[in-house]
Amino acid sequence: MSEKSIDTIQMRRTFLKGAAAIGAGSLLSAEQLYAQSAAKNLPPAVPEWMQRVGRGVVTEPYGKPSIHEQNVVRRTVPWLTASPISSISFSPLHALKGIITPSSLHFERYHSGIPDINPDQHRLMVHGLCENPLIFSMDDLMRFPSVSEIRFIECPANGGMEWRGAQMEALQFTHGMLSCSEWTGVRLSTLLAEVGVKPKAKWLLAEGADGAAMARSIPIEKALDDVIVAYAQNGEMIRPEQGYPVRLVIPGWEGNTSIKWLRRLELGDQPWHMREETSKYTDLMPDGSSRRFTWVQEANSVVTSLCPEKPLKQKGYHELEGIAWSGRGKIKQVDITLDGGVTWRAAKLKGQVLDKALSRFSFDWNWDGSPALIQSRAIDETGYVQPTLGQLRKVRGVNSVYHKNSIHTWQLLASGEVRNVQID
Amino acid sequence: MFKLIKLSLILTLAIAAPSVVASQYAIGTNASKAEIAGWDIDIRPDGQGLPVGSGSVADGEILYEEKCASCHGVFGEGEGRWPVLAGGMDTLTEDRPEKTVGSYWPYVSTLWDYIHRAMPFLQPQSLDDDEVYALTAYVLYLNELVEEEFVLSDNNFAVVALPNQGAFQDDPRPDTNNVRCMKNCRDPESVKVIQDSTALGVTPVDHLKPEGSVQADEPLLGEETYIAACGLCHDAGIAGAPSVTDKAVWSKRIEQGLGVLYDHAVNGYQGTDGVMPAKGGNASLEDKAVKAAVDHMVDLVNQ
Repeated sequence: MSEKSIDTIQMRRTFLKGAAAIGAGSLLSAEQLYAQSAAKNLPPAVPEWMQRVGRGVVTEPYGKPSIHEQNVVRRTVPWLTASPISSISFSPLHALKGIITPSSLHFERYHSGIPDINPDQHRLMVHGLCENPLIFSMDDLMRFPSVSEIRFIECPANGGMEWRGAQMEALQFTHGMLSCSEWTGVRLSTLLAEVGVKPKAKWLLAEGADGAAMARSIPIEKALDDVIVAYAQNGEMIRPEQGYPVRLVIPGWEGNTSIKWLRRLELGDQPWHMREETSKYTDLMPDGSSRRFTWVQEANSVVTSLCPEKPLKQKGYHELEGIAWSGRGKIKQVDITLDGGVTWRAAKLKGQVLDKALSRFSFDWNWDGSPALIQSRAIDETGYVQPTLGQLRKVRGVNSVYHKNSIHTWQLLASGEVRNVQID
Repeated sequence: MFKLIKLSLILTLAIAAPSVVASQYAIGTNASKAEIAGWDIDIRPDGQGLPVGSGSVADGEILYEEKCASCHGVFGEGEGRWPVLAGGMDTLTEDRPEKTVGSYWPYVSTLWDYIHRAMPFLQPQSLDDDEVYALTAYVLYLNELVEEEFVLSDNNFAVVALPNQGAFQDDPRPDTNNVRCMKNCRDPESVKVIQDSTALGVTPVDHLKPEGSVQADEPLLGEETYIAACGLCHDAGIAGAPSVTDKAVWSKRIEQGLGVLYDHAVNGYQGTDGVMPAKGGNASLEDKAVKAAVDHMVDLVNQ
């Protein structure tokens, strides 16, 4: 360290003491500097970006968000997993609008990283208990009549860090293993008709072309129902993170069943009991027994307009908004409480309310500055009412990891800050 | 004529009834037996799919130490957060259950299948069938489910049952029965916050804190970082670095806004009169320390 820098610091400390003694003084803080530069663009000044020309066409041939949105990205919790190659990232739900998740922000889950697949050299094989085992190229798959449907995909571990207590200080981490896209592809039932399913076939094994050869057993009833062999997402070919060039989309079921980088479908008369449906994605109960094949994502909801990332900046009107979804069908109703569940009021559903998709709810509210305990409660078209955490824990204890779809609590403080809490 | 159509309809239905109508589009190519055999890697609990072969615990031990122990631990105890393979017997009802092959997995076939399809983590599908038998045998041995002399093969595969096989049941949900209550749903006095996530401090939320607040948390962070990492060049203005005593040079930079200054300091900058290496060449510095140092430098310039 040079003598000069020591002197500088001593001078600065002396100066700071003096400044504190005489009040504001002439020292400009970082915040004051920022305010000074902002004033150049605010009324009555003419903003600097109006005083010059901007960038031309195809400056960004693919396009990307404003540099001022750089904080709106997928994020991970590094201590959750051993390696980012087998890990999960979370969608920034607090910053999203409507019901579609931009493809770049769709949450990620890999069991052995993202493969780089050449679509010309990729094949989907369908075999097993069928009349005519077939191999499809991507060109083949895209010749079939297609469907486009908006469906959510959610990891069953969404919220799973909070079985024992509130742990995550952000909506992105409490609920962000959830995304919703428009998926385009061929109905799985169309492909199965093409190979001719034998009557003995009761199960379907789906397998990915990643390093984990990720595989799950699907019962034939679901396979013949609403499953899509999807090659496009939100209007373009599926992203590598989401299974390029082709994946399953199994509507309403836990995300890992929607096998990505799909390469093989085998028809059989029994389930296979793969690692990802025995060791993982099974739910341990307090008596030591475990639930297997817990496929459906039950009705769930969360307030997104107000959360730890989005404190309230002022009193007055606030549109309390959020998302609700159910793996069993459409959302029928969402209710809001501001007092931790003593009194509930009906929220409005707005925009499109679709089967097994995110739905958006809205509640007009004037915040008077009082603290509040805010919750949302979803009801789906089967009449299922989203449970309280206490109700879930009573049946399942705290070690089942998956499928924690309980009513979520945000604590709004008088300062406008929002905390992730649990209430007794 | 009418009768004929009716008869042919009945015939069509009779033929189609056993399976879903096949090949409406005639798209795709037939999969040959060899093509299917190359890709059909799955193994079922009843042994369907198992190739002919065998492997001993002794051979498995050598392979395990070479290819598996660095992540799963010498005794299957798991390094870091990599999966624990052995032990944990009778812990499933405890507060912190240990779910291993021995304590939790229902089927040996899953072990064979998974080692074959996905392990070792960095070289999946690199093991031959006998190696997979040997490693499966060794993981069973680590769980004290077979003896040291055991040799696993396609012939004796069915004799090893895992202890937890009977503990799995199909999904019974819905298993809760909440009701849509609207008024007086609970005693207001009973509503108590039992846990606040901020107390734990385990969430990576630095990105949520306003940039100006860094110094408030750690008042000396900027000064200390400056002295350790920045002052060498920026005190006197070495290697094209603007000296903090040069108000004229700095005022132009400050006009660009703090965001730009932070960006250049954290990520580096190549200018016409010099180079700013990312974090002054100290890659181990946290971003917030570099930003605090920038704040400190701006304050020095303004003195």
